[in-house]
Amino acid sequence: MSDIAVRSAEGAVAKGSLTEDWLAVVIGVLVFALALFSLGGTDLLGWAVSTSVYTDVSTALAPIAKGYAALGGLGALLATYASLLVVLTAGVAALGGDVKRFVLAFSVVFAIAYASWIVGSYAYVAAVTPAEQQKFGISWSLKLTNEGGFIVALASGLVIGNFFPRLAEWLKEAIRPELYIKVAIVILGATIAVTAAGRLNLASAVLLRGVAAIVEAYLIYWSVVYFVARKWFGFSREWSVPLASGISICGVAAAIATGGAIRARPSVPILVSSLVVVFAVVEILILPFLAQTFLWQEPLVAGAWMGLAIKTDGAAVAGGGITESLIMAKAAAEGIKYQSGWILATTATVKVFIDIFIGIWAFILGYIWTNHITPRADKAKVSEIWERFPKFILGFVVVFGISLWLATGTTPEIAKALPAAAGEANVFRVIFFILTFFSIGVLSDFRKLWQDGFAKLAAVYVVSLFGFVIWVGLLISWLFFSGIKPPLAS
Amino acid sequence: MSTNDLKTEQGNAVEPLLPIEKKLIGYSLGLGIVLLVILVTINHLFPLKL
Repeated sequence: MSDIAVRSAEGAVAKGSLTEDWLAVVIGVLVFALALFSLGGTDLLGWAVSTSVYTDVSTALAPIAKGYAALGGLGALLATYASLLVVLTAGVAALGGDVKRFVLAFSVVFAIAYASWIVGSYAYVAAVTPAEQQKFGISWSLKLTNEGGFIVALASGLVIGNFFPRLAEWLKEAIRPELYIKVAIVILGATIAVTAAGRLNLASAVLLRGVAAIVEAYLIYWSVVYFVARKWFGFSREWSVPLASGISICGVAAAIATGGAIRARPSVPILVSSLVVVFAVVEILILPFLAQTFLWQEPLVAGAWMGLAIKTDGAAVAGGGITESLIMAKAAAEGIKYQSGWILATTATVKVFIDIFIGIWAFILGYIWTNHITPRADKAKVSEIWERFPKFILGFVVVFGISLWLATGTTPEIAKALPAAAGEANVFRVIFFILTFFSIGVLSDFRKLWQDGFAKLAAVYVVSLFGFVIWVGLLISWLFFSGIKPPLAS
Repeated sequence: MSTNDLKTEQGNAVEPLLPIEKKLIGYSLGLGIVLLVILVTINHLFPLKL
């Protein structure tokens, strides 16, 4: 069992004054609030670095706003790194982490992760259409889009996690995929609202269909996986509950929440969580490419499928991002240009809907276990619903709500300026995605699959995931989202 | 933290499914299928108009 995975999982349930969830809300809302200043003409985030597809690396980086062009690409990169270092170091200090180790480890994590992103923007990797290839003077490319950098970051992390365990151990203070993806999801609220404001009927339809995800994850997936673990593989109740939750709901958070609710030993959900991360990586590396091949004509089916099939918030939402890039590239090659944001928004909506009910499901299981299965004095209490509620969702809702109001309930001038402001915040969303991909890679120690005892646990996962979860997720995504297309780009 | 807990788990006798576990599985699955059918029906009766 990887100590890094244990530490990461424990971070998700920190009991200090500030949890990773609340820290994600603070950082995400801070980025959003700074971006909103541009609505009044004051650009506070324009120095953030963005990366373009390139053949000459010296042209790859630039500040996002022309007003900060004097900084240059390298200056923007350093400014972005410094600002993230300051904010995240303050956050880690508030979490009670080792600040000195974090500063050193984060510097290396940022350097490798962003270098991976730059590699992914190389024209031979990223250029998609023949027109782009012609523009860059190249005759072939991998056509991964510039978001192929996520795959490069994941691969870099996997190499470190599996071949350089000492380096992985040294980096562990900054390997925080749950924190990074939660910040990204809070920021994503602004982008989704801007996207939704353009087609409110389509957005509300996507939201309504998110209800189906709750039914599927909690009532269908969970019960079947629990049955498989108990009846077919003979796991005890203490192991089967976190395992079913990890495979069915949303990986690490659900395994830990439900494991705690039934009063399982703390080591049980943490061991399950380490397996969840490994399989999430396998899914990220396979499912987006399957979606591009077979579902490119049904983009929202693909987006919902990522949310339902890939476990852990980070992997699912990140997988939605890759899927969007791949499908939009394929559609563009066929002459169809969709508005960006809809596929990722569908994945995120499905995932957020599933997350909302973690606390309630944990309470239901806790009530049954502490009253009927292993009656004990410390019975499940209603207050545990709030304790186990993933608080970062509140940040997402606040950012989404404010953005939607600014886009539809204020003046046309503000509504017109909002996409640019959300775009500046989105630069940081992308950077937190990159950090998430790299961190997930580092945490994914595939050697543990060969350790004593893990084979049977992994067998439950393989049978459930590839025999049931992925295909039922696809079927239900198809039932609810087939025929619904994102709007075309104007 | 080690994998000892997991090894020990696999050496333990199998715990039979209790009636309440069977109820939990059955009711969850039944309710889930019924709700999905209702949602699919609603989705069919009130399709999205773009």
